[in-house]
Amino acid sequence: MTDIAIDTPSRPKGWLPGVLTILFVAVYSWALLIAEEDWEVMGLIALAAAVVVLGLFTGLGNKVKASWSAHEKPLNLGALIGVLAVIFTLSDQHFPLLMLTTTLLYFLASLGLNIQFGYTGMVNFAGAAFFGAGAYTAAVFGNVEWFPPLLTLVAGGLVAMALGLLLVYPIVRTTGHYAAVVTIAFGVLFKTFLEVNEILGGPQGLMVNSMRLPGWDFNNSPTLFGMEASFYFNYAVFAAILVAVIFTFVRRMERSWLGLHMDAVRLDETAAACFGISIHRTKILAFLSGNLILGIAGALYGMMISFIAPTSFTFSDSLLMVSIVLLGGMGSPWGGAIAAAIVVLLPEKLQILQEYRFLLFAVLVMLVLLFRPDGLLPRQIRNYFPGARNGQ
Amino acid sequence: MDIGLLAQYLANGIMLGTMYALVAVGFTLFFGVLDVIKFSHGDVLMLGTFAGFTVWLGLEAAGISNPWVQLVLILIASMAFTAAAGAAIAKYLVLPLKKAPPLNTLLITLMLGTAIREAVRLFYPNGSNPKAFPSLLPDASVDLGGFLLRADSVILVVAGLGLITGLNLMLNRTRLGLAIRAVAQDEETARTMGINYMVVVLATFGIGSGVAAFAGIMNGLYYNEINFGMGLLLGLIGFSAAIVGGLGNLYGAILGGFIFAGLQVVGSALLPFASAYKDVFAFAVVIAIMAWKPTGLIPERTSDRV
Amino acid sequence: MTNSLLEFRNLTKRFGGVTALDDFSMHLNRGEILGLIGPNGSGKTTSFNLLTGIYPASGGSIFFDGEDITNKSPRKVYEAGVVRTFQRSRLCLPLSIYDNIMIGDTSRLKTGICANLLGRKAFRKQYEETFEKARSLVATFSGNLADRMMEPVGALPMIERRRIEICRALISEPRLLLLDEPSAGMTHDETDQLMTDILDVRARGEGLSIIIVEHEMGVIERITDRCVVLSYGRKIAEGSYAEVAADAEVQNAYLGVD
Repeated sequence: MTDIAIDTPSRPKGWLPGVLTILFVAVYSWALLIAEEDWEVMGLIALAAAVVVLGLFTGLGNKVKASWSAHEKPLNLGALIGVLAVIFTLSDQHFPLLMLTTTLLYFLASLGLNIQFGYTGMVNFAGAAFFGAGAYTAAVFGNVEWFPPLLTLVAGGLVAMALGLLLVYPIVRTTGHYAAVVTIAFGVLFKTFLEVNEILGGPQGLMVNSMRLPGWDFNNSPTLFGMEASFYFNYAVFAAILVAVIFTFVRRMERSWLGLHMDAVRLDETAAACFGISIHRTKILAFLSGNLILGIAGALYGMMISFIAPTSFTFSDSLLMVSIVLLGGMGSPWGGAIAAAIVVLLPEKLQILQEYRFLLFAVLVMLVLLFRPDGLLPRQIRNYFPGARNGQ
Repeated sequence: MDIGLLAQYLANGIMLGTMYALVAVGFTLFFGVLDVIKFSHGDVLMLGTFAGFTVWLGLEAAGISNPWVQLVLILIASMAFTAAAGAAIAKYLVLPLKKAPPLNTLLITLMLGTAIREAVRLFYPNGSNPKAFPSLLPDASVDLGGFLLRADSVILVVAGLGLITGLNLMLNRTRLGLAIRAVAQDEETARTMGINYMVVVLATFGIGSGVAAFAGIMNGLYYNEINFGMGLLLGLIGFSAAIVGGLGNLYGAILGGFIFAGLQVVGSALLPFASAYKDVFAFAVVIAIMAWKPTGLIPERTSDRV
Repeated sequence: MTNSLLEFRNLTKRFGGVTALDDFSMHLNRGEILGLIGPNGSGKTTSFNLLTGIYPASGGSIFFDGEDITNKSPRKVYEAGVVRTFQRSRLCLPLSIYDNIMIGDTSRLKTGICANLLGRKAFRKQYEETFEKARSLVATFSGNLADRMMEPVGALPMIERRRIEICRALISEPRLLLLDEPSAGMTHDETDQLMTDILDVRARGEGLSIIIVEHEMGVIERITDRCVVLSYGRKIAEGSYAEVAADAEVQNAYLGVD
């Protein structure tokens, strides 16, 4: 009887709007990634703005939303196929693939922050530090001959999680601004520590060995259909699959009692405690699993760019990560994808913006907070099994 | 350790503590009246210092070279400019978000801080490089058995402590101070008692920012150098100090400021082989204090009505 | 005193220099509906907050079903079977009606990490069961709401929110329900209807006890078996509504005469 997509008056059930969106986004991303002239990029940005305006004012956006919630699983799979298709068409282009993979990894990091900030309401101002912890772990373990590189990825996540464990006690005891100062202090501490520490390379940083799976060395350029591909192709494909897997788990977490408890803790700790929800357990789970994801993303990032230094993991970088979550919409995983693309691609594609990027995003986030506090793609109400009728 | 070195550390600690306390009282004042954190505080302070520096350049160009005249004009310009900026931020960014979750204010002012910092770096002439700040105070010093007591340090510390005392007197003895404390206690009641809420809030933000500008000029005079990033660390330290002391409490902020300075000095004294670790040490202790006293050393009154 | 479900023994709470609750002793019989009344600031909500573990007591003790639960965490108190509503509605406004009600059913939900992330089949089964249960509970209070289980609570009017809040408290089939001014912001008829619905739910289960804090004396007169009157943190009267209403000290307390 009751149905899901409430905020859509027309309730179309077709998969077509969703598929068309995937197609459009795939072609658009491809075009944006290979665009070189400033006027091409400007044109594409204008096109995106026009599409957004169109989507908002013609109800097209709602159609896409409804289509997506009615056919979520196949459409999510379609989105992954879309990303892989873009990667294949760009298979011999170093720079576009590097940018695409960086976007994917920042998206991955935003998923981790989203669990902490978006669901549980714990702001983490040390996102770049945990991301960096993953990258530095990859650098250290990557040099150990017998250590399997895939485990290095896991180790990156675990080390970030263990560092989070150090902060767990003050984090669960404090709230609001007091908790914010704990992560800010940790972020500054971490970067200063890296700079003055000789073993981890000091301000010069460290080399990171590349990713290797049995029979698949990421430093080699694979041959596709008789053409030699870029070695970034390996990372792009791997990152896309990794993001898909973690995305699935984050979604499941949101649509489970764990996610419900996180929301309850964010919205009203006192009431949550009065109904038996363990505030500490919920916060610890959110903080640690978020850091795990940040660490994994950082480890793969380190392996891909093969050289890391403390300057990549500053307080400003942490703020940039928080900006992605805010821009996309708190608790909205897909919002994170769009915001990550804006934050990573825009300054890379428009070289004139490169110098101004921190200023630009700072102002952008201020405008979002003032005029659209739910972000570009606001979070939808929780639907445990989209596409299904509600337990009836 | 010889007594001269010890005295040197002590003097250094008092100097830094005064500076940090001047920044921290701003955080605590803002939190008192509006229950918000204005994180751009440090960068507004930097902006004020650059304003003062610009005035100095103008005075030099105009041929006014008496250091005392310069100093007074720099201070007035810098503090007035910063006060105006602080009040404007309160009016256009902080008050509009009053109904939103409190962390949104922290976030928007964090972003504003970044914007100010980047704007100075990008748009101030040669803004990405440090600027040589003039030394306008007498450079005499007294030798106290292996320890040089510099006259400029003494003047700066006395002036800074004087300013904090003045602020305290203002809060406790004047009508404006009474109004600020009334708003901090209970906004609704203060309004019904005929207090002009907007004026009080803007005045508080102006005063808090002006006091921080003094810390910025102090920093410039002491180190003879200013740069676009100076506000970030000072703001961060001031914020930590206010939190460690306990928000909404003037004495907590002062205590926190001196504790942080003490930690840095102790850090560099205990770890002479790696004084670079002094900030790592100080921030680690801040985290430990938060674990021990989750609402600061002088706890804030809780107001979660059930 | 084996018959009493809840007992306060010399319960005291001081906030700084203010004594909000002063040497307060009372008991609640099994299955009883008790009215806790008194002027504003007399310590009614404070006693709820001490009972549910939100504030620690400054002195005295609380026994629930023979067990000392003084200063137990809110979670332990909930697990013992005590739930409450709040004076100012404390629902999670962006969440759906269903979500808000499920927050009240924590003790029965499987919250293991593996169960939630990997065992989706079993999770789905629990989801479907609880959905049906929550829906039929909501239907008792408002047929209209039962068809809107997935809509955000923030979009509902105040009266509906009150109903959801009571459903959230009742979903776990508690033994003791604490109602903190359920009539606030409602018309006379709406309050009446709400009380009838609560009594309906109570009649279906076995022996739900209720303590109700309320200013609306009509409600107190209608549903309570017994009343306890507080003034300035002290108990000044106890007995049936008719008895306490006739008490001279109670009348003085309400009229503000000393």
